[in-house]
Amino acid sequence: MNDPAIRVEGISKSHGAAVALSSVSFAVERGEMFGLIGPDGAGKTTLMRILTSLIDADEGEAWVLGFPVRSGAARVREAIGYMPQHFSLYSDLTVAENIRFFADLFGVAKEARVARTEELLDFSRLGPFVKRRAGALSGGMKQKLALSCALVHTPRVLVLDEPTTGVDPVSRRDFWDMLERLRAQGVTVVVSTPYMNEASLCRHMVFIHKGRILASGTVGEITALFRGTVFSVEGPNLQAISTRLKNAVEPELVRILGDAVQVLALGRSREEVGALLETMRQGGVVSHSREIPPGVEDTFVSLMRE
Amino acid sequence: MKGVLHLVRKELRQVFRDPMMLRIVFLMPILQLFILGYAVTFDVKNVALLMIDRDATSASRGLVDRFAHNEHFVVKRIADPGKGIEGYLRRGEAVLAVVIPKHFGRSLETGKPTEVEILLDGQNSNTAGIALGYCSRILYRFASDRATEGFARSPSISRAMRFIEPETRIWYNPELKSVYFMIPGIIAILLTIITMLLTGLAIVKERESGTLEQLLVTPLKPWQIIAGKTIPFAMLGIAEMALATTVGVLWFHIPIVGNVALLALLAFTFILATLGLGVLISTLAGTQQQALFITWFFLQIFILLSGLFYPIENMPRAVQMITVINPLRYFIAINREIFLKGGGLGVLWPELRALLIIGVCVFGFATLRFHKRAS
Repeated sequence: MNDPAIRVEGISKSHGAAVALSSVSFAVERGEMFGLIGPDGAGKTTLMRILTSLIDADEGEAWVLGFPVRSGAARVREAIGYMPQHFSLYSDLTVAENIRFFADLFGVAKEARVARTEELLDFSRLGPFVKRRAGALSGGMKQKLALSCALVHTPRVLVLDEPTTGVDPVSRRDFWDMLERLRAQGVTVVVSTPYMNEASLCRHMVFIHKGRILASGTVGEITALFRGTVFSVEGPNLQAISTRLKNAVEPELVRILGDAVQVLALGRSREEVGALLETMRQGGVVSHSREIPPGVEDTFVSLMRE
Repeated sequence: MKGVLHLVRKELRQVFRDPMMLRIVFLMPILQLFILGYAVTFDVKNVALLMIDRDATSASRGLVDRFAHNEHFVVKRIADPGKGIEGYLRRGEAVLAVVIPKHFGRSLETGKPTEVEILLDGQNSNTAGIALGYCSRILYRFASDRATEGFARSPSISRAMRFIEPETRIWYNPELKSVYFMIPGIIAILLTIITMLLTGLAIVKERESGTLEQLLVTPLKPWQIIAGKTIPFAMLGIAEMALATTVGVLWFHIPIVGNVALLALLAFTFILATLGLGVLISTLAGTQQQALFITWFFLQIFILLSGLFYPIENMPRAVQMITVINPLRYFIAINREIFLKGGGLGVLWPELRALLIIGVCVFGFATLRFHKRAS
């Protein structure tokens, strides 16, 4: 029972000539919230499909709770709950019927099913809507129903592929709360997301880019990899500051965050950016600028450029 | 096995919950049966016939009368338009023209050979062929009656003429009603549509909406998914066939001479192939629209090469070879045999064998492809 929740060793996968994953290795501890972070097309979905035994890797092996995904697909599927990116339910069936259907397919016995359904409806606050057809639910509720269906067989590992993509901010926070409660119950949660700000909600994470792992570890371990300086710049007109900076450095290194503009000075450009900001301050465009510690996103941006 | 049961129940629940689907499954076929049952008929009635009598003797008038009293033709007598006859045919005012030549009566009296000219609009080859058949029959009767008369009048002359009078008895469909011939075929087509199209659509729908991926991560095995997706449509197909058959018997008075249980059994063998094709189509199509078009492609070829409208024996040799792998061809033959002739398994064994071979091959291939796409 000392196997990690998930262990991935040297996994490679190509779709024809396109390399989706190239020797990816990492491990997920039991009972932790683990993030697969990366932009679109990084290979996150391919990795999750390999973990859930939907597709086979070209090379390497992965284990879920010690069961190899390639040869132990049946055990893996019982242990894992999977919510695909384009999760979907039977829109012409009701909330209760959807849950029941997946419970039946996983062979959940009647008493266990009734109790578990109760629990899930309570957990997702879908109780009042049991008789409503899934097609008539709001986006956020559909997503909660999909999660409930993935949880109906009480999996010990939950794999979610970009569960919050295209979901409104309130539902998104709600959803992360639910994931955190599941984790607290001892479920290992593996979640992929293109949103860097969600990365900090994970204890460990890997950053995937073009099928390779560029960084892995905790938030602190990842930000320690940052080489450069982050400036937070304030001024009367943030848009004007942003435009000026984008002309000076590369546009993707500049972004407006809250009531400040952040600009990344990578490598040796720290002095140049500092000088530019000083000029702008003298010109009255910038009222104040300071160096701040790098965030996960800043680190990923810098790693992607190396 | 339980997993299959849950899938079947879910699928049927979805069908019965969708009013559109219910209409497609139960109402549309009945409508089709009525429309096609009445429209697709090769019975030739009230064919416009142009009668040009250049002889105008009692003999020629006798022949004209025979045409006039025939139920198949509406005779329009006109004066000789010379070369203008073609105009009538081209304008569609007549399908055929019968020209009785000058000296027709005299030639008959003196025993000289004479020719009655028949001009035919061959645009609709079916009608034309059948009308020509009626025409020839009338002329033949006329000639033989004349000969018998002549024999009576002067036995010495015609004694040598031995007349062979064909005595026709048509069995199995004595009135030659094409509806008897068509309805069993149409029922076969309806069964094909339901099983092939709906199976394909149902699987593609799950793929399109993403639920197939969810099914694949359950402990269900691919064969269970295929079974769960095909069994409901097999059930619906057989139910629909029963319904259509009932309508055929009660409304169109089609006889069922043969064994209904045998018909049902053979129907199951047939839908093995069409369900398999549905699964196969689902592996080829990415969207329901594509599935619909691919199904349409297969369906058209199946129907055209089934012998429903055009006898397979009349097709070019190469095309006949293609019909060998057309499951609909065998099932239409089976339907007609059981409905009209009452043939048993002994007669239908070649068809059953062909259906079994096609069905196992198609279903097997489709299952393999489904496995490959699923993993």
